[in-house]
Amino acid sequence: MVNALLIAHKEFTDMITSKRLWLIVGLFLLLSVASTYATSFGFRIAGLRVARPMLTIASNLSSTMSYMAPILGVALAFDAISGERERGTLRILLSRPIFREDVINGKIISALVVIGLTITASSLVSISVSILLHNVTVSVDDISRICLFIVFSIVFSFAYYALSLFISTLFSRSSYSLISGIGIWIFFAFILPIASSLVAIVLLGPPPTIPLFNRTQGGQFGNMSLPESYVSYYRKVSEISSAIQTVSINHHYSQIVNPLFGAAISIGPAGSRVERTLDVPTIISSHAIDLIVLIIFPIIFLVASYMVFTRRQEK
Amino acid sequence: MSLAIETESLVKIYGKKDSGVKALDGISMKVPKAGVYGLFGPNGSGKTTLISILVGLLLPTSGSAKVLGFDAVKDSIEVRRRVGLLPEGFGFYDHMTALENLVFLASLDGIPPDRRRVRALEVLEAVGLKDRANAKVSTFSRGMKQRLGIAQVLLKDPELLIFDEPTVGIDPEGAAEFRSMVRRLNEEGKTILMSTHLLYEVGMICTHAAIIRGGRIMMQGSIEELYRPFRDAKGYSYEIHVKPGSNMPLQEIRLLPEVSEVVQSNDKVVVVAKKDIGGDLFSLVSKSPYREIVESLTPLNPSWEDIYRFYQGGV
Repeated sequence: MVNALLIAHKEFTDMITSKRLWLIVGLFLLLSVASTYATSFGFRIAGLRVARPMLTIASNLSSTMSYMAPILGVALAFDAISGERERGTLRILLSRPIFREDVINGKIISALVVIGLTITASSLVSISVSILLHNVTVSVDDISRICLFIVFSIVFSFAYYALSLFISTLFSRSSYSLISGIGIWIFFAFILPIASSLVAIVLLGPPPTIPLFNRTQGGQFGNMSLPESYVSYYRKVSEISSAIQTVSINHHYSQIVNPLFGAAISIGPAGSRVERTLDVPTIISSHAIDLIVLIIFPIIFLVASYMVFTRRQEK
Repeated sequence: MSLAIETESLVKIYGKKDSGVKALDGISMKVPKAGVYGLFGPNGSGKTTLISILVGLLLPTSGSAKVLGFDAVKDSIEVRRRVGLLPEGFGFYDHMTALENLVFLASLDGIPPDRRRVRALEVLEAVGLKDRANAKVSTFSRGMKQRLGIAQVLLKDPELLIFDEPTVGIDPEGAAEFRSMVRRLNEEGKTILMSTHLLYEVGMICTHAAIIRGGRIMMQGSIEELYRPFRDAKGYSYEIHVKPGSNMPLQEIRLLPEVSEVVQSNDKVVVVAKKDIGGDLFSLVSKSPYREIVESLTPLNPSWEDIYRFYQGGV
C-alpha cells in the first residue's frame, strides 16, 4: 500500500500540473457560466418567471457536466498504462521491488482524488459565479441537490476513467487508447440516442399522422391536445429507445441527474404549466437501478483493468 | 564457482503453447558472480525475453531460473530488491528533472525518505550528471539518458546489474564511457549481465559470454573457453614483432611441431599452428639469435566476427 501511495503522490502531482487538466477545467467553467447566462438572458427577453432559479443554474451545469465529466475521465486515463509502456517507464517501474497492483492502485487513487477535486471545485466555482451574476438565493434543498449532483458526476466521470483505464491496459499506444475512449464516449453521448430512436421507429413503423387543422387550431400549438394514438406512439418510442440505451452509462447518469434539477421551470405568467419537482428521496428510490448501474459500471472496468494489467506480461 | 544466475531449460512461447512463437527454446545458462557476462545475439534472438524473465517482467512457459539464489518467478520481489535493470530505451519521465526521477525511483526501491535525495545525488555524481540534476530529462541527449539509466540502476546498490542493449544509439565516445563505467563497477565486485548485438563489445569488456540465436544458446563460457574450440579448428596465431631492418630466420620456427604457416611482412612475422605452441615459441625466441631481434611475441585472438561465424556453423 505504501508503494501505491508513492505512485499516487507522483501521479497526483503530474495530473494537477498538466495543461490537459486545466484546459478541461477552463472549458467547463466557460461553458457552464455561458450557458447559464444565455438561459437567463433568454428568459428575461421572453418575460418568463423562473420559480427556482438555482435549479435552472444547476440544470445548465448538469448539461455541461454530461459532456465534460466523460472527457475528464478519458483525459486522465487514456495514457495511464499505455503511456508508461510507450515511454518505457513501465519496465523501469516494474523492475523495482513492488507489486503490479501498486502501480494500478496508485493510478486509481490519484485519479479519484483529482476527479473529485476537479468536479467539486469546478461545480462550486461555476455555481458561485452564476449566483453572483443573477443574484439568486440558495435553499437547503438546492444545496442537497447540488451535493448529490456533484457525487453522481464524480461517479460518472470515474466510470469513464475506469473504462479508459481498461482500454489503456490493452494497448501499447496512447493514441489508440485515446481514440477508443473518445469513440466510446461519442457513441454513448451522440450516436446511441439517435440510433435507439431510429431502431424504435423502424420497429413501430411510421408515426400516426395528426389532422392538419389540429396543428393550427387557434395558433395554440403548445396547448392543443394531441391524439392519444400519437402520444402512445411516442411513449413506445421512448420506452424502446430507453431500453436500448440501458447499455449506456450516459443514459443512467441523465436519468438520475435530470430529475434533480428538472421540472423546476414554471413557464408563462398564467402559470398553466407548473410542474412538480420531485424530492430527493423519491428521485433516489425511483432511480435506484440507474444509481446501481452508475456504481457497478466503473467497478466492472476496474476489475477488468486489474485482471489485464496484473496478468499481462511486459517484455 | 559461485553463480549469480542459473537457468535450466527455460522456454518462453508467446501466444498459445502449440501454435505460438517460441522466443526461448530451452536456455540453460550459468552466469558466474563478479564477472561481466555478455549475452550476444542478433535482434530477435531472445535476449530481451530472457532478461525480462530474470527480473520477473515475464513468466517462463517452462523451465526455471534462479537469480542470486532466488527463484525468478516465486521470489520475484526479492530478485528485484537485489537486481538493477537498465532496459533498452532508458525510459524516464521527461517532464521531471533527473533528480525528481531518481528520488521517485529511490522511494520505490525502499530507500528511506531522508536518504533518497542524498542517494540520488550520489549516483548522479557517479555517472557524471550531478551538474544536470535539476534539468528536465526532456533536455537530455541519448547518451545522458543512458548515464541517467545507469544512475537509476545504482540507486539500490544492487549485487547484479542487467543492461539490455545499453549502447544502442550511443555515439562512440558515449559507448567508450559506458564500457569504462562497466569495468569500474565490475572492479567494485558487481556482477554484470549485458545483452548486445554488437560483437566487438563482447570482446572489449566481457569476462564471459553466451552466443544466443533463435532462442538457443549456441555456446557459453569464459572468453578463453569460447576461443578454444575455434582455435582447435582453425589454428592458433601468434604475432612476432622484430626490430626494424632485422633479418628474421624462419627455418627453426617452421620446424616447430604443428606449425602450418609462417608469413613475414616488414617487421612482423605471423605464425599459425594447429595446436597451442605458445610455450615452444616463447622458448625459441628467448634464445639467440632471436633474442637480439625480437621485440614482442603476442598470441592473436580471433575476431569476434570469426568466432560468431564459427559457432553459426560458417567458415
